[in-house]
Amino acid sequence: MLSNESLDEFLEGFLNTSVKKNDQQHKQRKIEPEEVTVRAEAEVINDDVEKIAENDDRAKNNKLGKRTWMAIIMIFVMIPLTICFGILIGDRKYYFISMAIIVYTMIPFFMVFEGRKPQARELIVIAVLAAIGVAGRAAFFMLPQFKPVVAIVIIAGISFGAESGFFVGAMTGFVSNFFFGQGPWTPWQMFAFGIIGFLAGILYKKGLLKSTKYQLCIYGFLATFFIYGGLLNMASLFMYSSIITWPSVLAIYISGAPFDLIHAVSTVFFLFIASRAMIEKLERIKKKYGLIER
Amino acid sequence: MTELIVRNMNFTYPEMDKPALKNINLEIEDGDFVVFCGKSGCGKTTLLRHFKPVLTPFGRLEGEILYRENSIKNLDLKTQSQEIGYVLQSPENQIVTDKVWHELAFGLESLGYDSATIRLRVAEMASYFGIQAWFKRNVVELSGGQKQLLNLASIMAMHPSILILDEPTSQLDPIAASDFLETVRKINRDLGTTIIMTEHRLEDVLPAADKVFVMDEGAIIAWGTPQAIGKQLKSLGHDMFLSMPAPMQIYAGVDSELSCPLTVREGRKWLSTLFPEKDGVRQRIPLEMTDDKKEELAVEIKDTWFRYEKNLPDVVKDLTLSIKKGELYCIVGGNGTGKTTTISLIAGINKPYRGKIYLNGKDVRKYSDKELFNNNLGVLPQNPQSLFVKKTVELDLYEVIGGKNNKRMEGVDSEITKKIAVEKMAQLFHIEQLMTQHPYDLSGGEQQRLALAKIMLLKPQILLLDEPTKGLDNNFKQELGEILKKLQEHGVTVIMVSHDIEFCALYGDRCGLFFEGNIVTSNTPRAFFSGNSFYTTAANRMSRHVFENAITVKDVIKCCQMSH
Amino acid sequence: MEDTFSTYHPIISFSYFCVVLIISMFFIHPVVLGISLFSAITYSVLLLGWKKSLKFNFLFMLPMLIIVALINPMFNHAGVTILFYLNNGNPVTLESIIYGIVLAVMLVIVIIWFSCYNKIMTSDKFIYLFGRIIPALSLIFSMVLRFVPKFKAQLKVISNGQKCIGRDVSNGNIIARARHGVTILSIMITWALENAIETADSMKARGYGLKGRTAFSLYRFDKRDGILLIIMALLVVVFWGGALSGNIFAQYNPIIIVNGVAPLTIGSLITYTSLLLFCLIPIFVDAFYELKWLEMRRSFPLKGAVAVENFMLGEYKEKLKEDLVINKNC
Repeated sequence: MLSNESLDEFLEGFLNTSVKKNDQQHKQRKIEPEEVTVRAEAEVINDDVEKIAENDDRAKNNKLGKRTWMAIIMIFVMIPLTICFGILIGDRKYYFISMAIIVYTMIPFFMVFEGRKPQARELIVIAVLAAIGVAGRAAFFMLPQFKPVVAIVIIAGISFGAESGFFVGAMTGFVSNFFFGQGPWTPWQMFAFGIIGFLAGILYKKGLLKSTKYQLCIYGFLATFFIYGGLLNMASLFMYSSIITWPSVLAIYISGAPFDLIHAVSTVFFLFIASRAMIEKLERIKKKYGLIER
Repeated sequence: MTELIVRNMNFTYPEMDKPALKNINLEIEDGDFVVFCGKSGCGKTTLLRHFKPVLTPFGRLEGEILYRENSIKNLDLKTQSQEIGYVLQSPENQIVTDKVWHELAFGLESLGYDSATIRLRVAEMASYFGIQAWFKRNVVELSGGQKQLLNLASIMAMHPSILILDEPTSQLDPIAASDFLETVRKINRDLGTTIIMTEHRLEDVLPAADKVFVMDEGAIIAWGTPQAIGKQLKSLGHDMFLSMPAPMQIYAGVDSELSCPLTVREGRKWLSTLFPEKDGVRQRIPLEMTDDKKEELAVEIKDTWFRYEKNLPDVVKDLTLSIKKGELYCIVGGNGTGKTTTISLIAGINKPYRGKIYLNGKDVRKYSDKELFNNNLGVLPQNPQSLFVKKTVELDLYEVIGGKNNKRMEGVDSEITKKIAVEKMAQLFHIEQLMTQHPYDLSGGEQQRLALAKIMLLKPQILLLDEPTKGLDNNFKQELGEILKKLQEHGVTVIMVSHDIEFCALYGDRCGLFFEGNIVTSNTPRAFFSGNSFYTTAANRMSRHVFENAITVKDVIKCCQMSH
Repeated sequence: MEDTFSTYHPIISFSYFCVVLIISMFFIHPVVLGISLFSAITYSVLLLGWKKSLKFNFLFMLPMLIIVALINPMFNHAGVTILFYLNNGNPVTLESIIYGIVLAVMLVIVIIWFSCYNKIMTSDKFIYLFGRIIPALSLIFSMVLRFVPKFKAQLKVISNGQKCIGRDVSNGNIIARARHGVTILSIMITWALENAIETADSMKARGYGLKGRTAFSLYRFDKRDGILLIIMALLVVVFWGGALSGNIFAQYNPIIIVNGVAPLTIGSLITYTSLLLFCLIPIFVDAFYELKWLEMRRSFPLKGAVAVENFMLGEYKEKLKEDLVINKNC
């Protein structure tokens, strides 16, 4: 009872005491309708995105070359060598070869990133997003497989480009295992998270993936279920089994499917509720950091 | 040698008409201790950032800045990293790595020193700053004061010749802040490092300063030695006085031909000279009568005990406290005495294991959350940023009352729509001109007011504030004080926890000293502070030998004028 | 107890774990696996204590062991000794069962080794090792380690702040709770990103981005590290030589061949010994220093110190008794 009255009273009291001031302020301040401001902002953001995309393009043209080069060496020299060596080993060849290939594929990313001497703000952005990923993975520890990591990685890839997406993913995978325990699964997780972010970035740049809620959710579901689930199921198969046959592949996928499904649904859930707000926040940060300027 | 020269400098931010810095001319000598002061938003930080090119904001710059007779623009990254050290405001955000030793070595790594040199420098710094004991720790385990000291040490490890500090103690408690500033003075004294700093806590800094620059609206309005500044500001009659130490403020309000006192010690002498003992004029301000008549109580705490875990010691011990409706009650006291915990007990976040807490006569445990936090209780957290959700101030204000959608406010009389409520609230808290900005783009004081406006939109009758003046300059404090008074007039009870005794003396109705989990004494500010001899305001410490019961600057000035 | 092996240079610990992990992942010889299993369990008991280690092994390892051991014979039908046929007509062979068990044991060994690795290879050591090869990424790594606890603390602050405006995640219906949870996360993310700008400034202010950045660490490679590294290298060379010359060849498909067991040759014996010595290095190191300490205690000057210590301890105990008596009287 008192509260309503007190609010009224206090507003009235306020008006009486400072009528003059209010008038002045009304003259000064012209609140534009909210929609207009929002639209204007959205346009600015779109502009920025285009600029970034251009910058990225330019940057990529120099750098993609280097990475492709490294990748070529890896694919045509290192991987065949590894396979030859693996066959010599005998029974554990699948595990050895697959692990080695995973590591090889990550090396070009590392080399390119280190080679171009990233700036402080790039490191910060990756570190903050990866830390959010780790904290997110930890925050949902009581719900197995229900994790926001993939969602964060996809958003990172879209907002900051394929490479950042890769590192946010790989770092999240790596560091969170410092809290949950490292194991033979670490490189696989790093790679799986990383490549999801990388692909998101590439697809977005090529215009195949729009940053609309639904497209993101679809991509998130597919990526989590097929890329993350696919890779980690294969990893366990290589570890547990000596011979890879179709029935065994099928069996491991079927047994993993419920978990992958939960994981994929959680990704969709987080993308659905948070993707727009997250992307907005990241766009603002990009402007504030001046990531567009250079 | 002249370290820095600024000539005819003007600076304008992009897309702004008004320049942020106007016609700046100054010279800073090697080994100087220079203090810049001025209200928030007067351009201090912008100016300081121009002394370190990597941190210089984008915008149009006219005039020139010379570092050791060369234009600072031509300074290469290596030299500026090494020679110009810059300590930023937040202790927390500046730390990059996870280990104390790694943080100390960070700058040296960038400069490309070899391990042996870094080892030596790091060891040296750890010894000089007393960091050995926590050298190998994770930075998470450090207190705020230790973190800021670490930031300073990691800058000093690079052996800079200029050290720039931008309000380095605004996030620290008074004891940590004094320690930190003492260390800065020691660096200046022992090593001859040039110090350039901005600081709210001028009473700790001014006595050591060689030069003071006072800025207002982007221009330097006065400069010179601290004493000279006192005189100049007095003649200018500028409201910058509010930010000066108490002795200087008093000096400005009293006619005298003596030189300006800077410290309490000098202030005492100055008063003694003005009013020699033989006159025997001892002004006394009468104590307010405490009316003991029964009033309605807003908060009543009865024999309350609390500890965080079963095996930990009690934080709140046998606390009994009653706060009347419409009162502004200040809880003061040292660190870790349980002040903030008491706030959380009243707010129902923590539950006492013995004793009862009543809000408006009803047990706090009997309220549902919705009842408690709508129309009853508002809590302002220490860090206002922990309340901001939306991308503009306006949307953020709407957010707390459930968005823009339904026009009517819940539980309010028909005339008040959400729109009116938000607009009026914004006016009340002086944030109406910031409605389209992002909450994080506001200054500290504005963020504080936005957070308070959000809380007030829930129409609390009891407002709990935790360190509301932290990091605010005196102008913002004054505004906050006036807003709180206004709310109080309309029946809001305010309970605040604060280290800021000057603020409590000015605006509190009653103050309670918290010690060892309990209120030791509780009284009106005048009786409370004039009864203490250490834990009291600077004005009181300075004047207690001449005037009785004068606790604020205004009191002392009034007494002086009456004695003349 | 204090583990001395972990005080050695990170290169030592890292190469030790690399070698034992690779051997345990890729050699399927039963004796090799036995040695590895034995050493891994011993070391994990040493590091984590009996209780924790046993609990870990039984709760986590045993079920996994059984599952993995069953998977192989289900899909792998190679082998000459057919035991019975499955419903779908596929044979279950002795070889595939044994191989399944070997694979399961292998997995268990790897996981036990990793439990030791997690204890020894702290983030500090990792940053040191990779600080030179991948400086930017190892800095990111260090930053993430700094941010995670910071964010967790902030999350708590925010959720308390939200609780104070009546948005508690711990009560209300599920939709309201989820909405509040998302609001809290959203506030946290904004907070983290906005405040990181100052971190970037702080990095720039301290010259990040200059050419020729070095990587400092508290570790120094001294003589004892050198000696241990040489010993380790020698043992690995001996073992590798033994492995290449076929002393520890093993095969389970299609027929079981295990070299160097039935007739215990000198070559295989040397190979086993070298592996055992290598795997037990941390235990030897710990034991060596433990003995050294005992010896030091026995020597005269320390004896005096110990005596003084005991004396003072005695006095303290007396005082404690007094206090107790006083307390009782009160």
